[in-house]
Amino acid sequence: MRDVEEKNGDEKIPSPSSRESNGGHCPICLGSFIQESYLDTCFHKFCFKCILQWSKVVAGKHSGVQSSVKCPLCKTDNASVIHGFDGASFHRHYISPRNECSSFFTNAHKYRLKCYYIESGILNEKFNVSRFWKLKRYCQPNQWLQCWLTREIQALIQEEDVDIIVHHILGVIDSSLRRDDFLNQKKPPVVKQQEFRDLMSEAVRPFVAARAERFVDELELFLASGFNVKGYDEVYTEQLGWKVPGISRIVREEEQESDDEHPPTVLPLLYISDEDPDV
Amino acid sequence: MQASRARLFKEYKEVQREKSADPDIQLVCDDSNIFKWTALIKGPSETPFDGGVFQLAFAVPEQYPLQPPQVRFLTKIFHPNVHFKTGEICLDILKNAWSPAWTLQSVCRAIIALMAHPEPDSPLNCDSGNLLRSGDVRGYQSMARMYTRLAASPKKG
Repeated sequence: MRDVEEKNGDEKIPSPSSRESNGGHCPICLGSFIQESYLDTCFHKFCFKCILQWSKVVAGKHSGVQSSVKCPLCKTDNASVIHGFDGASFHRHYISPRNECSSFFTNAHKYRLKCYYIESGILNEKFNVSRFWKLKRYCQPNQWLQCWLTREIQALIQEEDVDIIVHHILGVIDSSLRRDDFLNQKKPPVVKQQEFRDLMSEAVRPFVAARAERFVDELELFLASGFNVKGYDEVYTEQLGWKVPGISRIVREEEQESDDEHPPTVLPLLYISDEDPDV
Repeated sequence: MQASRARLFKEYKEVQREKSADPDIQLVCDDSNIFKWTALIKGPSETPFDGGVFQLAFAVPEQYPLQPPQVRFLTKIFHPNVHFKTGEICLDILKNAWSPAWTLQSVCRAIIALMAHPEPDSPLNCDSGNLLRSGDVRGYQSMARMYTRLAASPKKG
């Protein structure tokens, strides 16, 4: 009788994954992948529709809201399904319906994410990026930058807690822009700008991958604008002719009260004067 | 319905392709109904079921693989987790631990594993479960072996 007991440990417990995991087939429908998607923790791959259906079946069995789905292959808890990825971007479907319209991913985040799908450089004129470099406006600290960065990174990587990344990026910006030593002061603005761009895209690449270059474009725009986040959004969306709910309403009211002809002037501006003592 | 049919068809093709892959399991689909399957499984060696061939009946629901198939023993078996009269099987993966990544083939493997490792604490066959729980392994084994000979041994001649 002991023999049986001892052998128990040696025998392999059958698992559902033993055969299906090696091929290029969805473990749920056993067909070729349609809309390949990954679970966010264990990275097992399924058709988007298949894993979504399964998460709904699981949710239906439990009372109360499910915040995660167990992987059909390895039983790991996963909070979301990553799908629609093309190397530069992806979509994230949260299992919990609460997360779907969660407190952190607002319309403002959606609008920021959308900006990465439009052509770059449209707003360079509006925010006068070259002037920003020429007048060395970067020497002046921007107290709204952290706020803007947080939202931008949240929008791009679709995670709520981005503090570490934001602090890292702030650190790189700070060391690049404001430690302006003697050698740096002699550099022409174009060189300085290129150095900043190279340094920044290297710094953010681990987090935003293929969107690093574009992120630096947007960062430059924000810095050059001199606006706070609200004002920046207002000018940005207006320039593109977008109406984003929950972004520009308050500013619009201010506009209507004041003179309609110069809307940006009511916005808080970092660079009060166009004059620069150094020039 | 369509999805379950497509998936069962994939499983059918897989079974045809790898017929000799698992000599302990012979899975056959009903000629006229892809939702009805039967399986012949060999009793695992070094268990009282060794030498027996057990028939399982699968009834696959339309929501398969989101819902588990219903499986029962057609062959009489003396096992704590199999109902002696109906052949119903108490196995977590056929109930709440079901995952759509299981296939009919892998369910058969799980049932073979259950035959080798009975769980006397969740018995459907109390007589069998009580023998094991009271430590009478010899009694359990001889009962199980007797029924294997009586009901599960291939008829000679």
